[in-house]
Amino acid sequence: MTEKSRKILGNHVETRNLDDLIIADNYRGKITFTSETVHGQQDLLESICPTKALSKKDSDTMTLDNGKCIMCGYCTESFPKLMKIENKCPSPTKTKNKLVEYSAPQEHLPEKSYEQIGRELKEKIKKLFGRSLAIREIDAGSCNGCEIEITALNNPIYDIERFGICFVSSPRHADVLLVTGPASRNMQTALLRTYEATPSPKIVIAVGACACSGGIFGDSYATTGGIDNVIPVDVYIPGCPPRPEILIQGLLLAVNRMITNGI
Amino acid sequence: MNQVNIQICIKEIISSFLNKIKKVDHKNNEIYIHLRDIDDMPVICNHVYTSLNTKLATIICTDEQKNDNDFVIRYVFEKLNADIFIFIIASLKKSKYFPSIVSQIPAAASYEREIKDMFGLVPVGNPDLRPLVLHEHWPNDIFPLRKEFDLKTKVARQEQEYPFLRVDGDGICEISVGPVHAGIIEPGHFRFSVLGENIINLETRLFYAHKGIEKLAESMKLDEVLLLSERISGDESVANSTAYCQAIEKISQVYIPNKAKKTRTIFGELERVYNHIGTLGGISTDAGFAFGAARLNILKERMMQLNESLSGSRILFGVNRIGGVKYDISDKNKKLILEQIEEVSSDFEKIIVFLRSKSSFMDRLKGTGIIPKKIAHDLGIVGVAARCVGIDVDTRHDHPYANYTVHNSRTPQQIMQDQIEMEKRSGDALARFEVRVKEVHDSFKIVRESLDLDDDDGLFTEVPKEITPYSYALGYAESHRGQTLHWIMMGEKNSIFRYKIRTASFCNWKIIEHAVLNDIVPDFPLVNKSLDLSYSGNDL
Ligand code: SF4
Ligand code: SF4
Repeated sequence: MTEKSRKILGNHVETRNLDDLIIADNYRGKITFTSETVHGQQDLLESICPTKALSKKDSDTMTLDNGKCIMCGYCTESFPKLMKIENKCPSPTKTKNKLVEYSAPQEHLPEKSYEQIGRELKEKIKKLFGRSLAIREIDAGSCNGCEIEITALNNPIYDIERFGICFVSSPRHADVLLVTGPASRNMQTALLRTYEATPSPKIVIAVGACACSGGIFGDSYATTGGIDNVIPVDVYIPGCPPRPEILIQGLLLAVNRMITNGI
Repeated sequence: MNQVNIQICIKEIISSFLNKIKKVDHKNNEIYIHLRDIDDMPVICNHVYTSLNTKLATIICTDEQKNDNDFVIRYVFEKLNADIFIFIIASLKKSKYFPSIVSQIPAAASYEREIKDMFGLVPVGNPDLRPLVLHEHWPNDIFPLRKEFDLKTKVARQEQEYPFLRVDGDGICEISVGPVHAGIIEPGHFRFSVLGENIINLETRLFYAHKGIEKLAESMKLDEVLLLSERISGDESVANSTAYCQAIEKISQVYIPNKAKKTRTIFGELERVYNHIGTLGGISTDAGFAFGAARLNILKERMMQLNESLSGSRILFGVNRIGGVKYDISDKNKKLILEQIEEVSSDFEKIIVFLRSKSSFMDRLKGTGIIPKKIAHDLGIVGVAARCVGIDVDTRHDHPYANYTVHNSRTPQQIMQDQIEMEKRSGDALARFEVRVKEVHDSFKIVRESLDLDDDDGLFTEVPKEITPYSYALGYAESHRGQTLHWIMMGEKNSIFRYKIRTASFCNWKIIEHAVLNDIVPDFPLVNKSLDLSYSGNDL
């Protein structure tokens, strides 16, 4: 598609090229290790991280679990030489252990913009369903930070509906369940029932550190320590909260998964 | 001035109840009255409530059995015409019962039920003892906030029914909604009893998002609890973390730099702006006017992008630290803020003028979801919900913190005008709409004024490495929903012994049951949105 997406912004008929939607330089997103060795610092790093996203693997390696990281920046403040926090989003994954990275520097795929992903998604959805993709959002005890970002997908700037994605009001109409929160115990039954009410084939996406691992709320008397302890999860989207850019990336992954699963 | 007021207050209480009081103390703006016997609690609370012009701010229970103090309950009253909090303190002395004060002070109802769930102490005389925080899957002999209970305990689920209030009669039916709702919102259950289309009774059932925040805080380091406080309710992150930091700063008697005070004020107001604009957009959606919502949501998104350029987070996570703030607002960013709010406020003004000109929109809001003033007063509601019926409470004026000491001065004429303005407010959705519009403008003004001033005294003050165990204080802030109160008692080795959080939503949820009466069911989403309550902030 050659035509550029443009939108009317604000009061005047001012248009902005949406391919240029950029993430601010100081956005606290993904943690990456620099090439310095973590040798000897691991215990300290472990004790600094509030969610235990950082943990010791062996004498020279640390692991970073993106599904637990809440992007607080405490580790980079204390060890600016060992790791840095970038204005990028960690990638969504299909399995939980893929959220984990090692302190050895890693290759990252070139990132696509929100618009590019959206267009790709639109074509795939059209081919696969011949209609829109229906999403039901479930809050299983989030702090409402994740909801703010999911709502942002519907604002005129991100406007996800133009890619053929709509939020529906009943699980009975849904193809995808977008679940946030650490799955509080009080929501456990409701979450399970909503899952059961959704017709198969269905895809469940865990949104945010809480949904992936319990996040800062962890696993306690009141939480279940992540959505996958209650219902099966197909895609994990890390972040606290995840930006709209990565939410749409997670949706693309979900659709890809539907294609490989063959519906 | 305040010291004099405190002395007057203390004298007045002592003179009435000398033989019932064990000890009287005061620190900062807090008065502590220790009682000899908990059975005297109702009379004294009632006296403080009715004669001293106060409202119930919160009720705090602590498990101090290890310190030979048994369970201690602190009733906190907030004086309405002075910057004073009065604590009435009594220990339970091995009993599992304490006298309820609900019959005199209705606002106490939910606090007492909460204490019953979390500590297993029974408020004698409270007519409603159904479980509140812990749902029916929870056995009724395990109490999470007792010290012997371990945070990680996994309690086996059990099956029970929750006894909802039943309304019987010819033609009455029940509609139950939630906890999973139709829109992208948080979980909660609403049970309507309707006659035709009219709502005869509404019962709210919340705490689906209960995550054990208060218990969790007891196992965390101070700077981890800071992160937790931001996540009490994601959209109130600045207000809640400010209240948390202020409590710690007050306990350790640390005074934060002026620059930090201003920065907190700026972020606090930016938070109010993006949320108020979002709520106004939501009201427009629920009134069935998508165009207005779209326009307002563009502005909300712009404010969130501004948030990100300033703090690295679209919802302002991570701006506070204990003793001050994390981020300096550079000259470049000052310019950015001024430019952005200039643009946003002029767009905002135009949209509001446009909305006001749409009679179908205004008709929809007018007279919908009226809050009865007397009930609002009895339930001690706060924030926009209170101000929309003319109850003039605002922590920024009543207990100035951060830089609000500066923005506080009103001439007698202004005070008069404000009072007249307050009297006109009718408590319907339209009044809430107008109050929010006004507050957005005020916030822009406060941000502009705070940017003007240049101090160079650093971003934070160091707090002592070790804070005295068992010292405590109250921190507070005005979020976009209203007053948020955080009470902290320190434990040994800089741990937290008890973290009691009471957000504005906890006070305000009850009012919705009254506001929707006699409205029709389709009004409910609109009334709910216009009140803009947080589920997570209530459920903790
Ligand atoms: S930024 Fe992530 S990895 Fe670093 S301390 Fe915070 S939670 Fe841990
Ligand atoms: S992941 Fe972060 S933003 Fe999302 S619900 Fe959890 S704490 Fe809130």
